[in-house]
Amino acid sequence: MIDLAMHMMDIVQNSIRAGAKKIGIDFIENNDEATLLFRVTDDGSGMNEESLEKLHDPFYTTRTTRRVGLGVPFLKMTCEQTGGYLKVQSEEGKGTFIEAAFRTDNPDCLPLGDIAGYLTLLLRANADIHFRFTYNLDELDFTLDSEELNEQGIELQHAEMLSMVKQFIRENLQLLYRDRSPVSYLC
Amino acid sequence: MNQISEIKTLADLKKKQEEVRARITLRDRAESPDSLVQVKVAMATCGIASGAKEVMEYFVEELDKRCIDAVVTQTGCMGYCFAEPTVEVTLPGKEPVVFGNVDPEKADEIIECYIKDGELVDGIIPQNYNTI
Repeated sequence: MIDLAMHMMDIVQNSIRAGAKKIGIDFIENNDEATLLFRVTDDGSGMNEESLEKLHDPFYTTRTTRRVGLGVPFLKMTCEQTGGYLKVQSEEGKGTFIEAAFRTDNPDCLPLGDIAGYLTLLLRANADIHFRFTYNLDELDFTLDSEELNEQGIELQHAEMLSMVKQFIRENLQLLYRDRSPVSYLC
Repeated sequence: MNQISEIKTLADLKKKQEEVRARITLRDRAESPDSLVQVKVAMATCGIASGAKEVMEYFVEELDKRCIDAVVTQTGCMGYCFAEPTVEVTLPGKEPVVFGNVDPEKADEIIECYIKDGELVDGIIPQNYNTI
């Protein structure tokens, strides 16, 4: 895991495996406070208290194919090493909310990585899931809603359109990034 | 620095879609997914960390370029973390085959030899073979 986009894919994959039909992905960057919040909200199967307690344990997994589960512990490590935190709330049958907070004035803060690339793959491979992605930097924000794309008749099944959507996300994010404070280590 | 950007709004995106639609006469996609080639890329922590994204992007783009009707999806870890990125390919009417240590170069070989011609290539993880 060398960037935050990888973590995004990893955590969202957990939501998909929990049978979520609606997944919200939010990045909230604040220049004055030098923080970045990364949130994933889903309506999947959720976890009971026992699973929730064991979630941060790398040797806990619900899988039978292997005996370790490193996704969440890795995310916890990457946010805590910047002075941030990881918070998980979950209710069985309702869904899960996960929030990772990063301090962007800490040099250990990971780069964002190819968010646009991962996001388009998620949209393309999971056409039946409603994704809502937002990136917020102070007053600026960018939203991508998979239902909105459908309404506009945009078909990700065309490989050509896939790269257009990727470019659309990338350009809009780059526009936002221009307002990033110079003391931030995010890139 | 002054890169010409074309796609800033949803309206731009919609325009592009119309252009694409006008240019390409849609290939008739087979109705049932059973008659399509299915490619599943393992996208769990282990896969992501080993570069599964590049492999998945390669499959999506190349299968389309080479006019092969296929469904490319992501799946969780199949338990072969030592051989990530792993890809499961199911040809119509055949048993799924799992390939390990796939990079774009290997993916090219899989498309050309296995998907197109049905020839097995190196790197198969014996998952569900039956003894005779």
